[in-house]
Amino acid sequence: MVPEVRRLRSVVDTGPVPPSDEDLLLATARGDQQAFAAFYDRLSPLVHGVVRRVVRDPAQSEEVSQEVFVEIWRTAVRFDADRGTARTWALTMAHRRAIDRVRSEQAARDRTQRVVDSEHARAYDEVSERVEVGFEHDQVRTALGTLTDLQREAVQLAYYQGYTYREVAELLDTPLGTIKTRMRDGLIRLRDALGVSA
Amino acid sequence: MSEQPDLHTLTGAYAVDALPDDERALFEAHLAVCAACAQEVHELQATAARLGATSVTAPPPHLRAQVLARIDTVRQERPPATPAESDELAARRASRRRVTTGLGAAAAVLLIAVAGLSAMVIELRAQVGELEVVAAQAEQAGAQVTALTDRLAELEAREQDVIVTTSAVTDVLAAPDARTVLVEHDDVVGRVVASPNRGEAVFVADGWEPAPHEHTYELWLISDDGAVPAGLFDPDERGRATRVLTGDMSAARAVGITIEPEGGSPTPSDDPIMVLELS
Repeated sequence: MVPEVRRLRSVVDTGPVPPSDEDLLLATARGDQQAFAAFYDRLSPLVHGVVRRVVRDPAQSEEVSQEVFVEIWRTAVRFDADRGTARTWALTMAHRRAIDRVRSEQAARDRTQRVVDSEHARAYDEVSERVEVGFEHDQVRTALGTLTDLQREAVQLAYYQGYTYREVAELLDTPLGTIKTRMRDGLIRLRDALGVSA
Repeated sequence: MSEQPDLHTLTGAYAVDALPDDERALFEAHLAVCAACAQEVHELQATAARLGATSVTAPPPHLRAQVLARIDTVRQERPPATPAESDELAARRASRRRVTTGLGAAAAVLLIAVAGLSAMVIELRAQVGELEVVAAQAEQAGAQVTALTDRLAELEAREQDVIVTTSAVTDVLAAPDARTVLVEHDDVVGRVVASPNRGEAVFVADGWEPAPHEHTYELWLISDDGAVPAGLFDPDERGRATRVLTGDMSAARAVGITIEPEGGSPTPSDDPIMVLELS
């Protein structure tokens, strides 16, 4: 086992080509804490960015981001490079965790009150330490521009505001079946505009 | 009332985490057996991640130290131990594993029921064992042993019953052609997951009040020829129930629910309180 560990460590420390996110995650799966720390340094601004956008509350967002990285450490062995990038894997986990937190927080609250609160939260949203990633932001904004209004709103309300499709249907006063279909064909159009492959 | 004719259209809502927890679990059970949906989900998740990557927020510096300290105390999951298997076999296993872990809320309820019953069975077995020892010394314990043995046999039969039901539910939920019909009155939810190919359907109740005293809920398969009994159900303390429908599904165009005297009735005694149209 020892030569194996040394080889992986050298992936992190040296080498002319920096290790890919996937390399770091695969090394993490084998218990390499240095690789995990490097993965954290690279991905934490993205992960925390997603979590902050959905959860909003800074203290809760910290907790969720910490949970996400502990989960990444614990389940790194499940990452399968054939099914997507390490970045997608981490951001999917971050979004799911953020949504779960928002849902458990809001479960007890009155539904109407919740929508009102979120409308307020949206107004204060831009105060955070968020930095737009220029190139990525422009590309995605252009791609979002190819969607119909309903597709775009359905996708954004779900992804950024954390609403269920039922809540989106209510907010947009549109039948449930239509919202589900718009989420799917909206994302498919985005996928094609961005040239995403899994 | 709403209808979900096709699970395959849920890939988008799933990829942006917009499915409520119970539907998410149902859809994950479907994903485990539908390769086309799994592929589409991977692509749409990658797309959703691009939405997330448009901006960054640096976490506070102390978080790094906290995370690194935490992982020192967290054991990592091990790779699945299947070195000698062919890829195909391993894949099939993994898929079965996903079905199990991704079980629908309905099946989860049953699994909990199995666990509860199994615990009681184990407990009673232990008690019977202890009492048998005592009985050897004191004959009056004999009657107690008999009573407990009867109770154990009854519980074991129920345990077997629940295990059989659970696997039937799982089979329907995982069927590639599984379709869901959902009816919601305020917080009372009735849902039928049907697999036409298997000729089977599962009814899942959520948020139901207990039936009135000495009454029960009865399910009916409604066809052009009328209504035939499809099983009884009583919600648990959380208002939930899961029932595999009995009877011939092929002619049924709807599932109805009535309130009947305890033990059920051969024909509905009143108008249904809920009707789920199957097509």
